[in-house]
Amino acid sequence: MASSTGSLRRYVLTRLVLVLPMVLILLTLVFMLMRVAPGNPILAALGGHLSPSQLASRERAAGYDKSLLVQYWEYLRQVFTGNLGTTITDHRPVTQIIAQNGAATLELTGAAMFVAIVVGVPLGMLAGRMRDTWVDASARIFGIVIYAAPVFFLGLLAQELFGHILNWLPTSSEASIIIQANLTPHTNIPIIDAMIDGQWGDLPDLFAHLVLPAMTLGLVISGVVLRLVRVNVIQTMKGDYVEAARARGLKERAVVVHHAFRNALVPIITVTGLQAALLLSGAVLTEETFNWPGIGNQLIYYLDARDYIAVQGIITVFALAVVAISLIIDLLNAWIDPRVRY
Amino acid sequence: MSRLAGVAVGVALIVPATAWTGASGAATNRAVHHSPPNVTVTLGTTDRIVSLDPAGSYDLPSWTIIYNVYQTLLKYIPGTTTIVSDAGTCAWQGTGATTYVCTVKPKQFFSNGDPVTAADVAFSFNRINKIANSNGPSSLIAPMKNVTASGNKVTFKLKAADAAWPDVLTTGAGAIVDQKLYSFTSLQPSTAGKIIGSGPYYMASYTPNQLAVFKPNPHYGGSDVLHNNEFIVRYEETATTLVSDVTSGAVDIAYRELNPTQILALEKTKGITVTQGKGIEIRYIVFNLKVQPGSTAAQKHAIRQAVAYLVNRNDIAKNVYKGTVKPLYSIIPDALAGHINSFENVYGSSPNVAKAKAVLKAAGVTTPVKFTLWYNTDHYGDTDLATELQRQIDTGGLFNVSLNTAEWSTYVQAGTTNQYGVSLFGWFPDYPDADDYTGPFYLCDDEWMVNHYCNMQVNKNIAAEEASTVQSVRDSAFAKLQTLTAEDTPLIPIWQGGQVAGVRDGVTGVKSTLDASYTFRFWLIGKS
Repeated sequence: MASSTGSLRRYVLTRLVLVLPMVLILLTLVFMLMRVAPGNPILAALGGHLSPSQLASRERAAGYDKSLLVQYWEYLRQVFTGNLGTTITDHRPVTQIIAQNGAATLELTGAAMFVAIVVGVPLGMLAGRMRDTWVDASARIFGIVIYAAPVFFLGLLAQELFGHILNWLPTSSEASIIIQANLTPHTNIPIIDAMIDGQWGDLPDLFAHLVLPAMTLGLVISGVVLRLVRVNVIQTMKGDYVEAARARGLKERAVVVHHAFRNALVPIITVTGLQAALLLSGAVLTEETFNWPGIGNQLIYYLDARDYIAVQGIITVFALAVVAISLIIDLLNAWIDPRVRY
Repeated sequence: MSRLAGVAVGVALIVPATAWTGASGAATNRAVHHSPPNVTVTLGTTDRIVSLDPAGSYDLPSWTIIYNVYQTLLKYIPGTTTIVSDAGTCAWQGTGATTYVCTVKPKQFFSNGDPVTAADVAFSFNRINKIANSNGPSSLIAPMKNVTASGNKVTFKLKAADAAWPDVLTTGAGAIVDQKLYSFTSLQPSTAGKIIGSGPYYMASYTPNQLAVFKPNPHYGGSDVLHNNEFIVRYEETATTLVSDVTSGAVDIAYRELNPTQILALEKTKGITVTQGKGIEIRYIVFNLKVQPGSTAAQKHAIRQAVAYLVNRNDIAKNVYKGTVKPLYSIIPDALAGHINSFENVYGSSPNVAKAKAVLKAAGVTTPVKFTLWYNTDHYGDTDLATELQRQIDTGGLFNVSLNTAEWSTYVQAGTTNQYGVSLFGWFPDYPDADDYTGPFYLCDDEWMVNHYCNMQVNKNIAAEEASTVQSVRDSAFAKLQTLTAEDTPLIPIWQGGQVAGVRDGVTGVKSTLDASYTFRFWLIGKS
């Protein structure tokens, strides 16, 4: 037992130490990519309006003529002191963007993950259980097609069908404009804010606005979940303990749900957790398509504006989120499965 | 009459303007104390605010809000380019356009109840220069030598005669801030409660890049009558969602930026009217005289003229922009005083291959002349325009045009540093005066478009129009310089754009605010 605890501690420490170079590499990449891209915030905003000499003078004043090394050092110093800076284009503290728009992204990705699990897990189980039947084939085709479909394309189709042709659901933003204007932002998640203020009448509108973006992103992710569940269920169905369960006369449904699926769940949780990066990149496009005021939506705007500070800040938070999730999953995995530690 | 009116007519115009303002002062109080109708108007836009502090913004999206939250000394009468009094009454002092004196009107208040004073005005201008924010309008007020306040009077001393100065005072750069609240050295945060002006509205709430809510300023002392008691702006991510929102009724008005296809689609949508107003945004071809095709100055000139003979503006307006823009035959749009159709006078209104051929032959240019026409997609979205121009210029076999493109940051830098011989550029005015379309393009030095064009006669005429406050004198100077530049052809104007909004049935007042000043006046919008 002592040895087991020691190995876990060693593993955790190693993983934690590895986070530092990982984050440093990510930050360096973000910094370099932004500087390699042509232009700067002054050119993007005022190019075409000011003379070249006026532009050059403003670029100098803003410090864009400083050496890359100096800028890089300032950037790292800011990140490691927890100061992500203030955007160049509209003078917003990056932490404010993270808080305000990050909450909307959290709401969207949470709802999308819910959709992905609700759709992907049952279909995957069904496909695994009914391997090589038309049900399995249909589920696999669905999984491939839905995963391959660009999220913005799926979003546009959903907008056209449910928003414009059937007129069932709103296609833009997280609330109707009057409701949005009257909500007090406690958490920046409108559904929770409305509950806090007891504005229950707003909830149908808020949920209605969430449906299409969450379904679009969630269905794309469900393709991955479905295939993962299917493969793992098939693998575990081959296990001796499943045969033993069957031999004991258990019904096939009980075998799948209580034995095969439960054992298949460990790698599923691991890989599903690692879908965080996919979820975040999908969220960027989903937010753009549905005018969802999330952090991805802001990322696109600030990229267009060549706002180094904003883009660096947002990507840094994205990167740290992915690193943190991977770390948690690694640790969870190590805790569940002792083989990982050795 | 252009905004020059305020400039050119100077004292003559300001006097009646003062009378108008004085009369409207009483109306203002009535407007405020007679509550605005209980109407909420919602507007969707793809615009993005840079800063709501006048010292930190030099862009239309920010100025759109600033025009509704702050007062300026002068403003335009809706639908015209005539300048009248807002928070002050102004006149040129002495001869020449170098000293401009304004008197701040009494009973003007910020939304926190503080009175608007001459000292606030001087403070507002001086802090722009002091802060010198990289996104701010310090370059726009560069003609100002100094500004001082004494009693209720503000005196602007200019570095040189500048008849367009009253127009500058109408822009967002001229917005008056409360010196008790705003720092002299740093920008005011763009948050509700911090942004305080004396305009018709105050900002009740603002979530950046999402939503801004405006309510009537309870202390407003100006002349504008409000037709709604709440105005909400939703900042949309894309024009697609903007169209979707106005179609579904999520917003009442879709304003900026709609492309021609979307405008046509909205025109066919039940319950929506596409409202068009005057616009003075322009698009034009730039020749860099140093690197454009041609071996000698004469050949280069002939090549520019030949291209001018081949451009068919009507086809461009009709086929590329589906009638949402108008052909432009001068660098000065036709909505502004001083405009003449100089290119039509010199080159005709229809393409003329024979004349193009003749001018090239006379200069000894070997045909076909090969060149690359550069254009930009992410800022101007000119792909269709470039393709159409290529087709038109290639017609007749005199030219062999290839197309190339670059993203905006690269494009604007390369376009002004001798890397493009021929390119497409656009211009969005600071204020609706012909001077804003001549000085930046044609002066031998200090031009933003560095294309090495220099004609001392043109320079002389620009100096003449800037020095005079008499409109007829300015018109004459503009006419001469337009003819000269049409003959020299360093730039070829293509189109002038109108402003367009998709408006849901029952919404009123949009047409009257879509004018050449690009001031979207929230207070004019109501519902029937």
